[in-house]
Parts: sequence; structure tokens; C-alpha cells
Amino acid sequence: MSTLTNKRMALLPGDTGKFAGILSGVILLLAVLPILTMIVMSFSGASNLDFPPSSYSLQWYKAAWHTFVSPDASDVLSLGQAMATSLLVSCLTMVFATLIAVPAAYALTRCEFRGKAVALQLMSLPLVFPMVVLGLALLLVFDSLPFHLTTSRLVIAHVILALPFVVKNCTAAMLSIGNEVEEAARMLGASPLRAIVDVVVPLMKSGILAGMLLAFIVSFNEFTVTYFLYTIDVMTVPIWMYSRTVSSLDPTVFSFAVLIVLIDFVLIWALEKLVGEGGVSF
Amino acid sequence: MTGLILENVEKFYGSACAVQDVNLHLPEGKLVCFLGPSGCGKTTLLRMIAGLETLSGGEIRLDGEDIGRTPAHLRNFGMVFQSLALFPHMTVGENIAYPLKLRGVSKAEQQTRVVELLELIQLQAMIDRPVAKLSGGQRQRVAIARAIASRPKILLLDEPLSALDAKLRESMQVEIRQLQQRLNITTIMVTHDQREAMTMADIVVVLGEHKVQQVGTPIEIYRHPANEFVADFIGSGNIFPATALGDGKVSLPGGDALQVPICSSIEAGQKVKMLIRPEDLQLSAPQATAGNRLLGKVTFVRDIGATIETTVECSGVTFTALSTPCQGIGLGIGHPVSVTLPSEACRVLGA
Repeated sequence: MSTLTNKRMALLPGDTGKFAGILSGVILLLAVLPILTMIVMSFSGASNLDFPPSSYSLQWYKAAWHTFVSPDASDVLSLGQAMATSLLVSCLTMVFATLIAVPAAYALTRCEFRGKAVALQLMSLPLVFPMVVLGLALLLVFDSLPFHLTTSRLVIAHVILALPFVVKNCTAAMLSIGNEVEEAARMLGASPLRAIVDVVVPLMKSGILAGMLLAFIVSFNEFTVTYFLYTIDVMTVPIWMYSRTVSSLDPTVFSFAVLIVLIDFVLIWALEKLVGEGGVSF
Repeated sequence: MTGLILENVEKFYGSACAVQDVNLHLPEGKLVCFLGPSGCGKTTLLRMIAGLETLSGGEIRLDGEDIGRTPAHLRNFGMVFQSLALFPHMTVGENIAYPLKLRGVSKAEQQTRVVELLELIQLQAMIDRPVAKLSGGQRQRVAIARAIASRPKILLLDEPLSALDAKLRESMQVEIRQLQQRLNITTIMVTHDQREAMTMADIVVVLGEHKVQQVGTPIEIYRHPANEFVADFIGSGNIFPATALGDGKVSLPGGDALQVPICSSIEAGQKVKMLIRPEDLQLSAPQATAGNRLLGKVTFVRDIGATIETTVECSGVTFTALSTPCQGIGLGIGHPVSVTLPSEACRVLGA
């Protein structure tokens, strides 16, 4: 009787059955397989792309370090220069996207205005818009301008792409802040702007930070739109890596990729930390 | 004239009226309660005084100065919100010091004032606690301390006790009242709890149907309600129809006549509404009808321990009488009973 009960009771809601366990294992494996392959390949001792490698060494890391400092014969820029551009663009994107998103989130939650629904829709348009079309469109716009933009046009494009994420996070944070704390600050003598700076922004903090990190990640990994907009002397890391695989495909790329994955991991870990504190929405 | 004066204040949202025709004089140092059912416009009125809501019409003057269009942050009024609205990212001390910081008070003076206020609310040890770590009553006190930190001209309380449990609420009522009297600060409190208003207020403003219904001391409002709305809203009361007979007499629907305090403005034959409080009705063993003593029948008895509520049908009217257990005369449903309505306890309600 008791064994029968045990068998019947084995699958309570929330328990994982064998099937669910295997399924999640497979999905997880599929998710990490590319990364694992990449890591294994980066330690290859061979000079071709055979998988699995016949021997292991650190030679590609050495080569990667060399490329990082000075460009190869086949490259125009060193990875170091591309990395500097990438970091500059990502940081600027993060700052500008946040500066736009915080007031936007405030307006979208506190104010009632005509066309609010349309504004919300437009804000998330870059999420569903085909990247290639967006890249092309931006290229046409920038080329028709009377002046020449290089790094800044990458920043503008990335801000457009990152904005939905940042606005969404900031809006979510705004929603949890009651009107009354802001009114309380005003009753205590703070001007409406001061009330926002002193009370609303600090309470939005975790949402803002999550949005900033997401903006950084989006910008740092962006490829498609950037591909339309880069110039020969200003390119980001993903573009640099792509151009290198086109010219010479060797395992150095994997060493770089490991580095980039590491950076992304750290950022996502930081993001997860913030989730515990406030909440983040992708 | 000193104090706060509201003149023809009104507020409309589109064509919907929140409150209108408000004319009030709130004297200095008094605690005034805005009492009314939900949706009567009492909170809107308070928010207009606070400056958080614009006026659709009328004037608000403080000590002769028109402040109706002064923004909230320049009025220097303290306010305690229903949700208390403490700043969760600041400690108790920082919360209380915030209004002082905004006024450019030096760090040392801020500290002195914060300590002084914490002593007043007896939370000296809590200065560095985050507000989330406080109990409901402690938060309540911190909210009040923060509201009075900058020595505001007026303290506004928007149902500040509604989040507390019944027992704590009662003790906070007394505490706030004592604090208000000690500081002698003009205070306006919004509440829908008439017991709270009776406990705390010097002056009660009864609001209903978007208008001021009556202004008076708690006892005036209870004993001499101006109209049926007030009589019905404040306390429980027996409100019944009658016809004036002249000579200070009215007749009940069942034909019995009652002697009532003479109300000169009412002519014979006029239909009126009467009020008698349940605690003023006297029940006794059935006797012949005489004077204000009528004969009736018990239809329901509710014995809740401390008091006994007896529902009696008498001359076409259903009365509820309140008595204490020791006055009990052992009545059950269906028993005949004599009901005395003392003439001085009967009130003819205006309009």
C-alpha cells in the first residue's frame, strides 16, 4: 500500500520527473555547446580548424595577444583599437540611453498625454524591426547629412537599439514607486525637480542600473546594424572579428571569443545580482 | 484674521464635482477634523490646502495672505500621508533631516533637531535604522516627526492611522492629540472614522455629497446635528418621520403624539424628520400610553455583552434602544414594552 502511494505521489507539482530532467539537460547542453566548442578550440595546438584538436597548447592565445597589440598584416586595425572603440561606444550608449530613458520612463508612468500608447509602441519598435533594414536606413540617413560622423553614428544607432531595454527597466522600476513619496518630498519643501532627483531616482536605482548594463551588453555585442555603419578606421570588436574570419580563419578568433564571452559573463552576473535587488526585464 | 480661511473653494474634474461651496475658518492651534464618507471630497479638500491639487475656484488665505496658488513646496505645511510615504532609501534620521537639508540648515543644527524630535516621539535609539525595519506605530511616529521637523505653519494628516490595527490606532489617536496640543500647531486631519474625529478634534467639519454639511465641536455635531445627513452619519440614530401639530407636539405615523422641544420655524401640518439617539430611549414594562411614553413590541434583541440593543416597533416606527445589562428588563422577541422618548432628547432635523 505504502509503495503504491509512494509511486503515485512521486510527481508532485514542482517535482522534476526523469523526463523533465533529461529535457532540461539537453536544452542546457545545446545552449552551452557553442561556447564549449569555442573554448576547446581556443586551446588547440594544431594550425587548422579540425575539431576536436589533435593537440593542445596556448599558442593561439599568444597569437591573440600579439594581434591585440599590433595589427596583423591582413588587418587594418589591431584588436586593441577595436576594443577601445567598442568600449567607448558601449559606454557612451549606456550613458545616453539612460539619460533619455529615465525622463521617458517618468513621463510614461506619471503623465497622461495624447499618443501615449503610440509612444510606447514606437519605443519598442527596434526590438521587432529587421536589423538589416534598420542598418540600411541609418546608413542612408547618415550619408545624406552634410557633415561626417564616425564613432558618434555608431553611438546613435546603438542608443536606438538599447533604448527599449532601458526604458522598459526604468518604467518597471517607476511603476513600483507611489505618487505619495514624491508628494511627500514636495510637502517637505522640495521643488518638483528636486523631489525627482532626491526621491524618485534613488528608488529607481536598481532598474536604472539593470537598464544601463543591458544597454552596455546590447551595444557591445551588436553586429548587424554596426556592419552598415562602421568605417575602415572605426570598428567594434564583433566587426573586427568578422572581418578577420573573412581574411584568415584561424583559432585566434576563438581566443578572442573566449575573452568576449568572459566579459559578457561578468556583465550578466552583475545583472543577475541586480535582479535580486530590484527587478530586471529583458 | 488669523488662521486658515477657505472661501468658496471648489474643485471640479471636468464636469464632475469633487467638492464645492466650502467656506471655513480654521482657527490657529486647533485640531480640525474633516469627517465624511469616502468619496465626499474630504481628501481633495485637504490636498488643495496642501497645494497638491489646484483650485477650480475660490480662495485659501493663511493669516490674510492668499496662498491658493502657491506651489506645495513653498507653503511650509507638514503632511502625513495615508501610506506615510517615508523614504525607504533613507534612515530614520535622514528622513527627519530631509526638510531641514532642503532649507539649508547646517549639519550640526540638523542633528540637534533630529535628536530633539526623536526624543519627542521616543525613538532615540532608532536614528540610524532604515525605515523598513520599523514597526507600524514607529513608522507612524517618524512620519509625524518628519512632517513637523521644519516647524510648519500647519500640519495636515490624511487618514494617517488607517493602516494600523484597532488597538494601536486608539493609542496613536491619543498620542497625536497630545503632541498637537503640546506643540500648539494648527492641524487638519481627514478621517472617515467618527470615533477618531470625536476623540481628537476641537472642531469637526462634516462633509457629505461634496459639500460642508456642518461645522462644530464634536459634541455639538453629535447632540445637535444640523440635518438628516449629519444625524445619520454621526453615531447611530433613530431617524423617523413625523407631522408637526403645533404647540411643540408632533404626531408619529401611527397616530401617537409626542412632546418635543419647540422649533418656531416649523408650522403645524408640516412633515418633519426627527432624531432620537438609541441611548436616550428608555424601555420599561408595558404601561398605559401617557405623555412621551408609548406602547410597542420587541422585534429583535441583540445582546453583545457590554450593551443590549433592542429593536422595538412602536406607532409605525422602528426604534433601536440601547441599554446596559443591569438595566435589562428581560425582553424577548414579541414582548410588549413601553418606550419613553424624553422630550429633550428628541430633535427636529432641519430641511
